[in-house]
Amino acid sequence: MSLDTNTNVVNKNEEFKPLIVAFCCNWCSYAGADLAGTSRLKYPANIKIIRVPCSCRVNINFVLRAFQNGADGVVIAGCHPGDCHYSTGNYHTRRRFSLITNLTEYIGVEKERFKVDWISAAEGNKFATVMNDILEDVYKLGPNKKLRDARWKI
Amino acid sequence: MENITKKIRAVAKQALIDKEVDKILGWKKGDLWSDSYPVFITKPEDTDTLIWDLFCINNLSKFLIKELTKHDKIGIFIKGCDSTSFNQLLKDNRINRDDVVLYGIPCEGMVDPEKVKKIMLNERVREIKKHENNFTLISKNKNIDVSGEEIKYDKCITCISPNPVVYDQLLSDEVENSKHSGDRFKRIEEIEAMSPDQRYNFWKGEFQRCIRCNACRDICPACSCVKCVFDNEDAEVSGKAKTEGEDTFFHLVRAYHVAGRCVDCGECARVCPAGIPLDLLNRKIIKDINEVYGEFNAGMDSTTPAPLVTFKLEDTDTFSKKGGK
Repeated sequence: MSLDTNTNVVNKNEEFKPLIVAFCCNWCSYAGADLAGTSRLKYPANIKIIRVPCSCRVNINFVLRAFQNGADGVVIAGCHPGDCHYSTGNYHTRRRFSLITNLTEYIGVEKERFKVDWISAAEGNKFATVMNDILEDVYKLGPNKKLRDARWKI
Repeated sequence: MENITKKIRAVAKQALIDKEVDKILGWKKGDLWSDSYPVFITKPEDTDTLIWDLFCINNLSKFLIKELTKHDKIGIFIKGCDSTSFNQLLKDNRINRDDVVLYGIPCEGMVDPEKVKKIMLNERVREIKKHENNFTLISKNKNIDVSGEEIKYDKCITCISPNPVVYDQLLSDEVENSKHSGDRFKRIEEIEAMSPDQRYNFWKGEFQRCIRCNACRDICPACSCVKCVFDNEDAEVSGKAKTEGEDTFFHLVRAYHVAGRCVDCGECARVCPAGIPLDLLNRKIIKDINEVYGEFNAGMDSTTPAPLVTFKLEDTDTFSKKGGK
């Protein structure tokens, strides 16, 4: 028997606080987030940043685990194609996540919950915009009930 | 079919007598009319058990990985889909081409016993006879004539490589490509046309029957890691709980791990005891690869790199409006 997944979803009386997990590449996007911080740009506090060596270090397990363990949206951010610290990492990311985006959409996860973008170290503004955008989309969609592990509690 | 059976037996016997190969991988008749299962033969006198009939669906290529650690040279009978799997194993460096002798058999599609049982409800099927493209199902009380499309496996109806793409010796004349091979993505398009919630409910219904027996992984010729992530306790990839999230996790990761290397042999869906149409996940990935990175069929040769281990500078993507540039 599978557990009833509807019992663990956010209590209706509570205000919905989305959780976004952002996998940021160490060389560009993480530095971009730093810049956004030091420039005192406003972006929501609901973002949990996970620093990865390269965007191609992220695999489908990471993304699905994040969704299972409470994320309402996932962002993967890497250097712009051509600027990878390891020369070719983000080209691989681009191919992989083109397929994974379609695959997660195919099993019914809304496309807006999952975002891949390129943010360079000089684009603090873009970092803030991307995070604001996904948060807005996730707010509209509400809590992520699909893919969530039934044992997960806030 | 009888001619090919005779040929298979003769070829296998000769190869074993001449010590050309140490072992033969083929098919053998089981107890029921619909049972034809893999058999491994090392003695020339045992070759008379080999057969070729409408139920030799098992893909033998995957057995090569294990068998080649015990034997130096193996003879194997392969259909079209087996041969693409074989090429994929070569490409993944799992086996050595020189250690294998391939006897190719052009295949006109195999019969799905489940479909036959549905047509012959409550009748004990004794035999299925084939004439041209039609079949006669014979039971004690009645005979029913059906067309090939009604009782063949779905994957066989839309097969794109009925003839082996690699072989040392071909045992019969080549057969024509199926006229339905263009329809292989029809079911995928139907699912894509649903709304996200409908799709989610569809897959939820399918995945919740999963008993995590790992049969889909074990039979897959592209799943050939020595240590699977799902068996690696240290990696903590696989949760043991029977929950929706874990089931979805398992199936997505399984499908994605063979992305670009899946030859669409459909064995995962065939062996699933819960009848989950796993090939729909794999075929979706194949469809996306074809659309985004150009037509690619895994296993058609043993040299072209899989789309996910390579890249082009001018690639497009599916996650941004501008194409990621």
